[in-house]
Amino acid sequence: MNQMNKETYAIVRFGRRVGTREEGEGARADFLATLERLPPDGQLIVSLDGIEVLSGSFADELIGKSYQLLLSGLYGDRTMLIETPSLELAEGLDDKLTQRNLAMLCLSDGDWSVLGRLAEPHRETLGMIIERGTTTAKELAEALGIPPNACHQRLKRLVDLRLVHQEQIGTTAPKTQYRFQSIL
Amino acid sequence: MELTIEQIEGVMSLVLDGRRRLDLRNVRFIDPYGLLLLDLVLRDRAEGSAPLNVVWPTHPPVRNWMQAMGLAFDVSATLRPKSRLPNVRTALQPITRIEDERGVIALVNGFDARLAERYPLDESPRRTLIRIMLELFQNIPQHSNATGNVSDAHGIAAMQDYRDGIVLAIADKGVGMRASLSLRGEEKVGSDAEALDAVVLRGLSRFRDPGRGQELMRIFRMVRSWDGTIAIRSGSALLYHDPEHGADVHDVAPFPGVQIALCIPTRVFGIGEVDGAPEDGFNEPDE
Repeated sequence: MNQMNKETYAIVRFGRRVGTREEGEGARADFLATLERLPPDGQLIVSLDGIEVLSGSFADELIGKSYQLLLSGLYGDRTMLIETPSLELAEGLDDKLTQRNLAMLCLSDGDWSVLGRLAEPHRETLGMIIERGTTTAKELAEALGIPPNACHQRLKRLVDLRLVHQEQIGTTAPKTQYRFQSIL
Repeated sequence: MELTIEQIEGVMSLVLDGRRRLDLRNVRFIDPYGLLLLDLVLRDRAEGSAPLNVVWPTHPPVRNWMQAMGLAFDVSATLRPKSRLPNVRTALQPITRIEDERGVIALVNGFDARLAERYPLDESPRRTLIRIMLELFQNIPQHSNATGNVSDAHGIAAMQDYRDGIVLAIADKGVGMRASLSLRGEEKVGSDAEALDAVVLRGLSRFRDPGRGQELMRIFRMVRSWDGTIAIRSGSALLYHDPEHGADVHDVAPFPGVQIALCIPTRVFGIGEVDGAPEDGFNEPDE
């Protein structure tokens, strides 16, 4: 992804210790406006830098609910990920994403992880896409040693959660062909 | 006589049974949870038609601590102290009103600052305690008047340190868990004990939104993982857990709202035993 299409949104603008549901709800309009201003394939990097405490309630109102809107298709192909100096800081968000049956990519100290709920086979598949950068379902199925249908199921979940980017590369009958790209 | 998490129910049942006089002369110890319950029950009786005639503790450290914690101010009671000033060193965090969500961060920062001024705290558990306070404090404006029928839920909180543990208490006399949960409208909540179970052990809230709820459940689990003690009281039910006995739900005298106490071992925060600190913190003779 073009670096120009990425924008960092610092949560610390709302304080080092955040916060209540009311505050999270109040912050959401600005957050979504930033998301809206991005190009259609842009990426919002939600930074927890400078934050001391992030409560589950604030995280849910601001990030969890916004992410749910993003996944509903309201914001085109935009993606969102978390960048945090420590995973502990994102625990409240992790809990809330789990409750919502969602998952987000998280960068911390140069490593990626997944916040929220994502089954281990999906994490394995995601890891392989991140490692390769770009791949196809066929290549993945072979590398993972799983049937194509099972691979497609995993990829559908990853695409639905915007954890990977899907791009159509051709229409070879009887099925459309796609390429899957890491969003990192 | 002690008014603690474990023993305050004796007083509650006497008062809620309609007794007009409460004799606390022989109280030798009271913790923040006991203090907040006493505060709410006095207020409840004063707002009703039968104010309670209280004989206040005579033990000077207890009287002084109750004053320093602001009980007299909060319930407009006169403790008729002897001519000495309360020992303010002993009171960690006096009774504080929780009125709306906008003020919650400032209150939490105040509680945290008082604790941090007294001890060097390990950062990770300190942050966890801040998160816990954020969730518990905002629960009062969010849930205590969920039905809209309560004129003053009177949310309050207080904190005190002891040699082995920090006790944080949060209480209100709002609608309670059963009435709040009934607004969910999808399953019948038969009793206060069932509501406690649903909220604390199963993570339900009155909202169907899957992102809501589960915070009390997480706090319960966190305190348990710290080998702490937790009491959550709502209506006629009390969920009590301590490391020795585990968790159980008890029948208690019915009282409005939700009252919560956490006792977190000081070692969780990396606080060693303070030299010369008495076993019971504020309960030491001042002279």
